[in-house]
Amino acid sequence: MKVTDLVVAASIVALALLLSYAMFLGGIGPVPVRSELRTLALNYILLTYNPVKVVYSALAPEGVTAIVWDYRGLDTYFETAVMFLAIISVVALTHGCKVRIGLGKGGMSLIVKTTTRVLMPLIVLAGISITMHGWLTPGGGFQGGATIAVATVLALVTYSIDTLAKHGIRKRVLLAMRSTGLIGIALTAVALLIIGLAIGVNAYIFQNQKRIGSPLAFPAYFSGTPTGGSLLFYNLFEAFAVSAGLSLAIIVTSLREKEVKETLRGEGVE
Amino acid sequence: MIDLIAALLMAVAAVTSIVFTYLAVVEKNLVQAVVFSAVQSTMYALIYFLLMAPDIVLVYLPVGVGIYPAIVLLLIKKTDKVDE
Repeated sequence: MKVTDLVVAASIVALALLLSYAMFLGGIGPVPVRSELRTLALNYILLTYNPVKVVYSALAPEGVTAIVWDYRGLDTYFETAVMFLAIISVVALTHGCKVRIGLGKGGMSLIVKTTTRVLMPLIVLAGISITMHGWLTPGGGFQGGATIAVATVLALVTYSIDTLAKHGIRKRVLLAMRSTGLIGIALTAVALLIIGLAIGVNAYIFQNQKRIGSPLAFPAYFSGTPTGGSLLFYNLFEAFAVSAGLSLAIIVTSLREKEVKETLRGEGVE
Repeated sequence: MIDLIAALLMAVAAVTSIVFTYLAVVEKNLVQAVVFSAVQSTMYALIYFLLMAPDIVLVYLPVGVGIYPAIVLLLIKKTDKVDE
């Protein structure tokens, strides 16, 4: 490392510190007082789990999940759709490429493989736990799904893409899982609307609990534990969609040159 | 007192993340640059944790330390390891 590098790094740090000091002194704009809670935040905190005012409540103790999937459900739906489109385009780039077994060396040493075999179920379990407690503690579908996808990354690096293909973790299966997750989210969003249309009662898109003018609701408790109503289904399907989607992106990126080139030249097309 | 310690830890993490971002930008060896970038992600995760945003931490750790470096490393493997 050269002296100039150090000087540049030190000056960037100094600039950041000076800027934050100026901000602290109020030089850039007024600093919000810490003790004061904005009305919007206060409303969310008071209403997220409020059995007395059910018409305004999500009946889930975890505020972030309640906001993400209940109060702001449509936003999250379109975010998921955007990620789905990104993954679809990655898959479209390598359309028709097939994993050819026996191209690679077969992964890392036995020690690494054994350690991974012990670790992988734990990572998947942690992911499922994060998902299934999403409406009670911090976490949720995206977090759990991303954690599960890390297990796929680990398997891909220590074993090989061949082993994954042999065990049935293929592009088509993952794409089907991804689509199932997205369709599940869409169906959960309109489930109460469909029931409402069938029995002739008012209902809304992304409705969770009873709302003003609509008596329909998802079950809010399961054997005494809050389920957050629709949040349970959203989290489950989102975990499905995200774990499959990220695994798919990783698997497509790790396709080997030979497999892709063969398809591009028109040899060995499915 | 605890507030002060949290603020100090956040300041240290933020400054460290700046240094590692700079290193990731100037580093010629791309594999090392990815590792620097992962360290920066870890620092950000620590800051989010201290700002009491555990939901973001749970997204940031698998994505910032697991999946993103993995994808970039896979892509580097297909090209040159050193940026010229």
